[in-house]
Amino acid sequence: MRISGRLQSRALKEKMLFLTPGLGYLAILFAVPLLYTTAIALTQWNLLRPDLGIRWTGLSNFLALLRDPFTWETLVRTLWFVAGSVAIELVFGMVVALALNRDFPGAGIVRSIILIPFIIAPVVVGFTWRFLLNNDFGPLPYLFSALHLRFLVDPPLLANADLVMPMLILVDAWQYTPFVVLVLLAGLKALPHEPYEAALVDGAGPVQQFLHITLPLLRPAILVAIVIRTMTSLRVFDTVFIMTGGGPGSSSEVLSFCGYRMAFQSYQMGLSAAIGLLTLFVALILTVFTLRLSGGQSE
Amino acid sequence: MTKSVRKTRLLGSSLAFIVIAIALVWTLYPLLWVVLSSFKPEQDQFAVPPVWLGSEVTLANYYQFFHNSSFLKALVNSTVITLSSTLLSLALGIPTAYGISRFKMRHKDAISIGVLTIRMLPPIVMVLPIFLLARMFRLLDTYTVMIVVGAFFSIPFVIWMMRGFFDEIPPELEEAAMVDGSSRTYAMCRVILPLTAPGIAATSVLTALVVWNEFLYALVLTGTNTRTLPVLVNSFVSEKAVSWGVMSAAGVVTALPLVLFALMIQKHLIRGLTAGSIK
Repeated sequence: MRISGRLQSRALKEKMLFLTPGLGYLAILFAVPLLYTTAIALTQWNLLRPDLGIRWTGLSNFLALLRDPFTWETLVRTLWFVAGSVAIELVFGMVVALALNRDFPGAGIVRSIILIPFIIAPVVVGFTWRFLLNNDFGPLPYLFSALHLRFLVDPPLLANADLVMPMLILVDAWQYTPFVVLVLLAGLKALPHEPYEAALVDGAGPVQQFLHITLPLLRPAILVAIVIRTMTSLRVFDTVFIMTGGGPGSSSEVLSFCGYRMAFQSYQMGLSAAIGLLTLFVALILTVFTLRLSGGQSE
Repeated sequence: MTKSVRKTRLLGSSLAFIVIAIALVWTLYPLLWVVLSSFKPEQDQFAVPPVWLGSEVTLANYYQFFHNSSFLKALVNSTVITLSSTLLSLALGIPTAYGISRFKMRHKDAISIGVLTIRMLPPIVMVLPIFLLARMFRLLDTYTVMIVVGAFFSIPFVIWMMRGFFDEIPPELEEAAMVDGSSRTYAMCRVILPLTAPGIAATSVLTALVVWNEFLYALVLTGTNTRTLPVLVNSFVSEKAVSWGVMSAAGVVTALPLVLFALMIQKHLIRGLTAGSIK
């Protein structure tokens, strides 16, 4: 009895030794800021007006946000961005992954090159595309004018309220399609051969094979790509900040940019905190939604 | 029948070839543009029509970058913050990952989901309170706050990735060592860690990649003393005082080291990126 008790306490000590530092660090750095920001969201606090102090205003920040049509526009714009970029990346990613899923000379090099946009800092990606799309000296608008498509870049693409979000989605697709390719390619490589051999015997064509064998078998990889891309595209900030600053007007303002602007350009701490929490809420709903989706398929 | 199969195969290969060609052009066009711009002299940057190559190939932009003390400072800052955050997150994350992989626990699932939640947290939620706390404790524009925050968003990733590597190693290995009387810590360091060395290398590179490229926290928490390369590049864009050529050189300097490292560990990349979601 005593020995097993001592062993047990030794085992407990061991567990604590291994788990406490890492989990404790995470717990503190997660809980303290989150509680603090929840408290801030319940106040009116202008960082540039210390004379006004910090006033408790209860839920008024949240009510103000919910009443403001601008919040809803931003939310809808963000969700469009997420849906648009994830959809495009999935389609492009699937096409490229299927093309790359065969042996040809140089396959390794091609795979490496295609991966590069994903590794580059989003800030660098943002200024690169800003440069490429610049109407005065950028190569793409020049190309458009040479092809007699000048009307496309007039007004400039990033200053066109109707085209700025599609452009941001395009840049997001440039940067993150490689990730989807990577995930789908790993899924394709792990597919069993037997169903395809059977299909060949039955005389099924490549399109039928893709629809009835590849797609269903690849579902777990597709869902992984969807879940991760949904969560990361909801965070989009860097490219918006560098390329458009939310403009023209507020036509490319997304949730995270709105939260940043509120705090660090308008100095409204309470409202910014409330937007942050709203973003968290959206993230949670999207996570549950996408996990439901992936849970449903295993049955 | 064999004829039609051969025909569809040929069609498939040509389609694949076309797709790959388009994907390569699409990927390389912007990259090549920046790289070539970084070697172009100033007067060719705004040439109309735009030119791929300038009248001469020049290293002037790189020379300017490496001879400007504030640019060099950003390179040093990025390096210090990335290395320290990575080391801290490995030191805290690896034992946790090992513990979650090996110990029988009642709340294992809850812990795993908690860690995953933190990984999925949108940074915009945390950046304001962390900024205000750092301001309160006079930690703005210090390495400390950037390293602490970098480790915070990296640890969940280290835990999920390393846990996968530990799960693959049979527990009998360290149990054998422990029967010989050595402690679990010793067994882990001597037996298990060397076996997961490739995994640790891949995890380090991916962690470093995320910290190095991070922008939002760096934008808010750093100042003139600690600004990182992405913040520097941003200041080029907003102040417009720096030429496109130097900016392109800065972009290349920011991107190149991580591109090289990441291509070296390409094999493990996919698994690290999806860690925690498959399963």
